[in-house]
Formats: sequence, structure tokens, C-alpha cells
Amino acid sequence: MTKKLLIIDDDPDFVSGIKAILDTGGYEVDVAYNPKDGLRALQAKKYDLLLLDIMMGRGAEGIMIARKMRKDAKLREIPVLIITGMREQIAFLFPGEPVHPRFVDVDEMVEKPVEPKLLLDKVQNLIQAAEAKKAAK
Amino acid sequence: MSETISFRQEVANLLYASEGEPLNTCIQCGTCSGTCPVAPYMDYTPRQIIAMINQGMKEQVLESNTFWYCASCYHCTVRCPQDINITDLMYALKRYSIWKGQHKEGLIGPTFSEAFVKMIVRTGRSFEPVLAPSYIFSFGMRELLLEVQGATELLLKGRLPLLPSRIKRLDNFKRMLGRIIPMGGLE
Amino acid sequence: MKKEFAYFPGCSLEKMAISYHMSAIETTKKLGVHLKELEDWNCCGATTYSYIDELLAYTLSARNLAIAEQTGLDVVAPCSACYKNMYFTAAHLKKDPDLAEHINFALEEDNLHFTGSVGVKHLIEVFAYDIGPEELKSKVVKPLTGLRIAPYYGCQIVRPQKDHEDVELPQFFEEILSAIGATPVNYPLKMRCCGGSLIISSRPAALSMVRNLLQCAVDSQADVVATACPMCQVNLEVYQQQVNQEFGTNFSVPIMYFTQLIGLALGIPQKKLGIGKEFVAATPALLRLEQAGAAPDQETKE
Repeated sequence: MTKKLLIIDDDPDFVSGIKAILDTGGYEVDVAYNPKDGLRALQAKKYDLLLLDIMMGRGAEGIMIARKMRKDAKLREIPVLIITGMREQIAFLFPGEPVHPRFVDVDEMVEKPVEPKLLLDKVQNLIQAAEAKKAAK
Repeated sequence: MSETISFRQEVANLLYASEGEPLNTCIQCGTCSGTCPVAPYMDYTPRQIIAMINQGMKEQVLESNTFWYCASCYHCTVRCPQDINITDLMYALKRYSIWKGQHKEGLIGPTFSEAFVKMIVRTGRSFEPVLAPSYIFSFGMRELLLEVQGATELLLKGRLPLLPSRIKRLDNFKRMLGRIIPMGGLE
Repeated sequence: MKKEFAYFPGCSLEKMAISYHMSAIETTKKLGVHLKELEDWNCCGATTYSYIDELLAYTLSARNLAIAEQTGLDVVAPCSACYKNMYFTAAHLKKDPDLAEHINFALEEDNLHFTGSVGVKHLIEVFAYDIGPEELKSKVVKPLTGLRIAPYYGCQIVRPQKDHEDVELPQFFEEILSAIGATPVNYPLKMRCCGGSLIISSRPAALSMVRNLLQCAVDSQADVVATACPMCQVNLEVYQQQVNQEFGTNFSVPIMYFTQLIGLALGIPQKKLGIGKEFVAATPALLRLEQAGAAPDQETKE
């Protein structure tokens, strides 16, 4: 069965690039361009994986979404791949410092710009791991 | 949901993620530009910037100095007949151009903002003398001398602190900010 | 009348605007209002950065609001930018529960929680509404008769608009000045911006804004410009010399905090009001006032 992915990212240029990569992997990809639409999509439809940007809207709203998901019994199961140009974005404030939202449980991080093969591998691995976890319950 | 979006929607997503999107209701009346005390110094007036956003002129908008010249006086905002919060729009453009590393070269605004927020993150308070060195290089010699003159007078009048004050619960404060700006560098 | 408020001085009032702090404390004390300084307050982010990252801005102000809530008192800010930031942070958090939840998650690190119970006021509102011109007038011992004062509102006391307040031509500042016996002059640019932090980031623009405000004060034949914000005071006063050098003008307009003027009328010694720390001496204008017969206290003059 075709796996369904959701991207929440405010940058249309980046989204079109990453979506093209995921399309080649045979995934069905939906996009939300702001945090609010993103949450609505998560609640409306079942996804196998979320690709989540951090800096959106008013600030690091990606973190707000990740926290909200981890508190929701249903959304908690969805693997989250943080995908962000944070190092560059925040370089303005803290050059060279890594992203570290250690208070929220995210599964994997990828930095922009994304290497296609790496992205496809991570997506596949995360979905498989989530399924294995579910089957083990 | 998967089709791409216009620059107007892109900007609206920054601004009105939780409140709708009135940018497209702009009637180009020019009340904002007529009101703005800084408009003569801007590459494009506020009215022009809104028109350019609605036309999808992304590069030109992000590379303009307009939003860095906004003094946040909200005079345009209280007068806009369409209830567009133009001041918040300017902040959103500042934010987006920083995130994208796309702001215009040679502006003091971004450097100053950086110095300012770094200091708050480190001490919990803002402190004028620490601010000076980080942006002063952008001035010419004459401005530098005038600045030093002003600072000396302030010192003599007992109005310039020699040491920054710090808040007491600084560790808590830093961890607090670390939950909002999720960076390793904060801890 | 409320007798006690939590007081958030803000960073400027620690040194740069120390005379605002001194005169705020002295005048409220004289009028039976207690300002209780917030314990361990932090910078609100001012106008420079805060709203570039809105979540950061809300967090900075929410910490101060949460500390104020613990006192059970409404919180008062003398700086217009601090006031605007606190007022609108409280409003946004009350309107958006998701936002409040996230900001409170951050506040947990300092064992704080924002509930939305606290009211936020600008210091000038305490004089205009909580004390009121009538009460103020009844306490005046040395009316500033004949002193022509330009009431400079600046931006962020009444902008952005709250409820249905008058954002074009408010009158409360004039009413305060009349209550202390002074003559509030018609100051057409009273609502125009001083340039704020552009004085650092875009100096030519800010200097021309300051020049316009000073010229307008001169045209209005004002002896003094009264301000209610440390940023406005510093831009108009400390940079007056630079304006003169830049534009070949010859301005020498004293810029005083409204609380210093109220203090004079209440008979508080000048030194206790921080008078003497200004760049453009207020003394000549005050001397003229004295010669006109309504002598403010001179004993403690330096």
C-alpha cells in the first residue's frame, strides 16, 4: 500500500524540491504551508510520517506542533522527521550551534539542503521502525 | 493541498497563521505611505511593498530595506481602512529575510537586532555599552566620535551603567528561552 | 482608587532614564500610590528584536506578567515599549490557548505560570485615570503657572489601538498638564514617532524625525517638551546636539519626564526628581517660571 506523508513547511521553493524527491520514492505526499493547516491535516487524515520544519509563522512553531503531537494518543504514533535549515536560519543568533529540542521526542533530523538518497533512506527507515514498533505491541 | 502557493500566501502564513489573511484586501489607498514618517528613506513605500507582495515579487521585496526602516510606530496600522497590521507585516518580513539569510547587505538593523537579543539571552537584561561595539563599526569616523561624545556625557551625568545588571534566576531564564528557541547554544 | 501596583521599571530606567524612575517613585508616593518593583524582572525585548521572533517576545513579557500575577496586583510600566509588549502579550495569550500553553511550557523552567489575571497599565494612565486630574490638582502646592509644555505622546502608549481609545487626538496628557497649573501647548506632532531604535540602525532617518519634533516644539513656543517614554526622551534630548550639527540648527529644548513636572508642582525637591541629569538643562525654563512668581523648590538645587 502506498505510504502517505505530510510535509509542514512554509517555504514553497523548498517544498517543491523535497516533494519531487519523495515522489520518486513512490510516496503519496500532502503539503501544509503553515502550522495551523498542518495540525488540521494531521487530525483529518492518517499519515505514515511527518516531515516538519521548525521556523515557521511566529517563530519556532514546528516545536509547538511536535509537542502537541506527543501529547495526543493518536498522533503520538506518527514518526517525525525534523527537516530544517535551522543551522543557517539561526546562524544569525548562534552560529554553528546545533538544533536541540531535547525536551520533545522527535525521531530524526535532516538539515537543508537535503541529499535525495539520504532523505529517502531516512523516510523508509523511520516508517519501517514505526511499523515494527506497532506490530510488537 | 499539494499545489504550490503564491508569495502573498507565503507572507500571510508568517503573519496570520492563526488569524486569516487580509493582505489581499489592500485597496492601495496610500494612507500607510502618507502616514509613515520613514517612507522617504525606504526603497519602496509600505503601499508599494504590499502591492509587490500581492504581485509575487519575492526577490525584490526580501532584498529591500523597507522593513528594516520600519520604526514600529504603528501609525499606519491604526489608520489602515482595511485593518491590515502593516507593522506586524514588517516584522514578519524581517523575520523571513533573516531565516532565509536573504536580507540586504550593509544594513545595521540585522546586526543590531542580533547583538540585542544575544545580550538578553545571556543576562536577562539589556545594557547600552555592550551594544555599542557590535554595530559601531558600521558607522563612519565622525559618527563614532559623536557617539563617544554622547556616551561620555551620559557617563558624567550618571546615566550610563558601567556594569551590566543580571537577573538572579539566570539559569532558569536560559532554560526557559531554550524551550522557545530550541538551540544547543543556549544551554 | 487603587493604592498599589506592581512596577516593571524596564532596563532604561536602571540608568539611562534614572530620573524617570526617581520621579515616578517620588510622585506616586506623594499621592499615596505604592509602586512595588517586580522581583527579578527581565528585559521585555524592546522594539528592536522582540517581534522578529514573536514567540521569544511573548516569552520575555510573559515571564514578567507571571511574576506580577503572583503579587495579585496590576502591573505598571513607565516605558511605552515595555507597556505595549506586556499589554499585547497578555492579550494574545488570553486569545490563543495553544500559544499560552506553549509559552507556559517555557515558563515552567522558572516555576512560573501565566493565567491572564493581571491588568497592564502605562504609568501615565495611573495619573490620568487612577489618580485623575481632579485629585492631582488638589495636591498641587506649586502650580507651574505660565510654563508652556508640549505634551509628547509618542507612539506606543496609544498605538496599536486598544478597545476604542482615541488614537488620533487623545487629551489625557493635556489634562494632566493643566491639572498642575501649566499651559499645554497645541503640539501638532504630538503623536508622531521619535524614530525609536532607528537612532541606531538608520540614523539619518531618525535624526530628521527628531528634528521635526524639535522644530514643532519651537513653533509651538513650548518651554519644555514632556515625555512619557525613556526612548523618546533619549532620542529628543541626547541626540539634540547631533541634530544641530547635522542640520545646522540651534535647538536647545529641555525634554522632561511628565513625572518630573508633576513632582515640581507637588513641591518635591528638584534633586529627588533627577533634575540636573539632563543634557539640555531644564533650569533656565524653570527659572523663568520662578521669576514669574510660582517658585518651584530651589533649596536642594545643585
